[in-house]
Amino acid sequence: MENPLHPFELHQLVQLSLFGVDISLNKAVLMMWVVVGLAATLLVLGGASRRLVPTKLQSLAELLVEFIRGIIIDTMGQDGIRFFPLVATLFVFILFSNLLGLIPGSYTVTSQIAVTGAFALMVYGLSIVLGFLLHGVKFFGILIPPGTPGWLLPLMMPIELISQLARPISLAVRLFANMTAGHVILGVLFGLAITGGALIGWLPFAFTIAMNALEVGIAFIQAYIFTVLTCVYLGDAVHLHGHEAHAH
Amino acid sequence: MPPSTDPFYAGLGQAVRIGTEMLAALIVGGGLGWLVDTYLFASGPWGMVVGLVLGVTAGIRNAYRMAQQWK
Repeated sequence: MENPLHPFELHQLVQLSLFGVDISLNKAVLMMWVVVGLAATLLVLGGASRRLVPTKLQSLAELLVEFIRGIIIDTMGQDGIRFFPLVATLFVFILFSNLLGLIPGSYTVTSQIAVTGAFALMVYGLSIVLGFLLHGVKFFGILIPPGTPGWLLPLMMPIELISQLARPISLAVRLFANMTAGHVILGVLFGLAITGGALIGWLPFAFTIAMNALEVGIAFIQAYIFTVLTCVYLGDAVHLHGHEAHAH
Repeated sequence: MPPSTDPFYAGLGQAVRIGTEMLAALIVGGGLGWLVDTYLFASGPWGMVVGLVLGVTAGIRNAYRMAQQWK
């Protein structure tokens, strides 16, 4: 049977280098271009008509925009809407990568930890920079949970520091691990279907179909979770403990 | 977006979050302890031991905090 991790290996398709930096094209890069192209085309076409009675594509685009707007307002409040472009871009890109990756023969960009890690570091870095810009030194107060008695501070601050630093890691690992694991399971089941032959092979094959349906759900959920957590982290940085949500 | 409003998928999404939340805190705690041991003080295994304990605490705290939001 084929190594189930084999589909995740990347090989250079076109060798390129810029000032000594290797920028060769591979499957993941091409797939990212496809994702960006498709998402941009669908949303631009959907937003072009602006009719009162929406076309199919327009109502899809409106549904998407309303959904992302709902996430932002639920987690960050009304003034979080200024992050809409960032949050919507992340959601649409991750959702399209996850879904397009399920088409047999394509590639799941989000199964590379380099991609998810870059997103997570960007989001977390932004929240830190934003926090210090808005609150200055007071932003270190994020390490002190509200209502902590003074004598517990030496214990709580390291714990809080660890759970802060764990945020980008859990953000990156969750998306990458879910995508990779789903495709490994699909690969193994499909390998069993082929080795099983006509006699018993239909059983794992039926499971690949069921798993694929589950993976479509996972693709939505993981894009959703990443987006919600992006909003939560940015909201924490903006509001600092949530109590003074609209006070500053 | 049907799947994220479907209670089955919503529950699944929150369940898979808990695992990574605890794991990430454990990795960071152990990693910080190891860094302290190796580069700051030659404090033997103790930095990592303390780091792991703090990491586990932080992970369980994160999971507990998450679970409280479900009520």
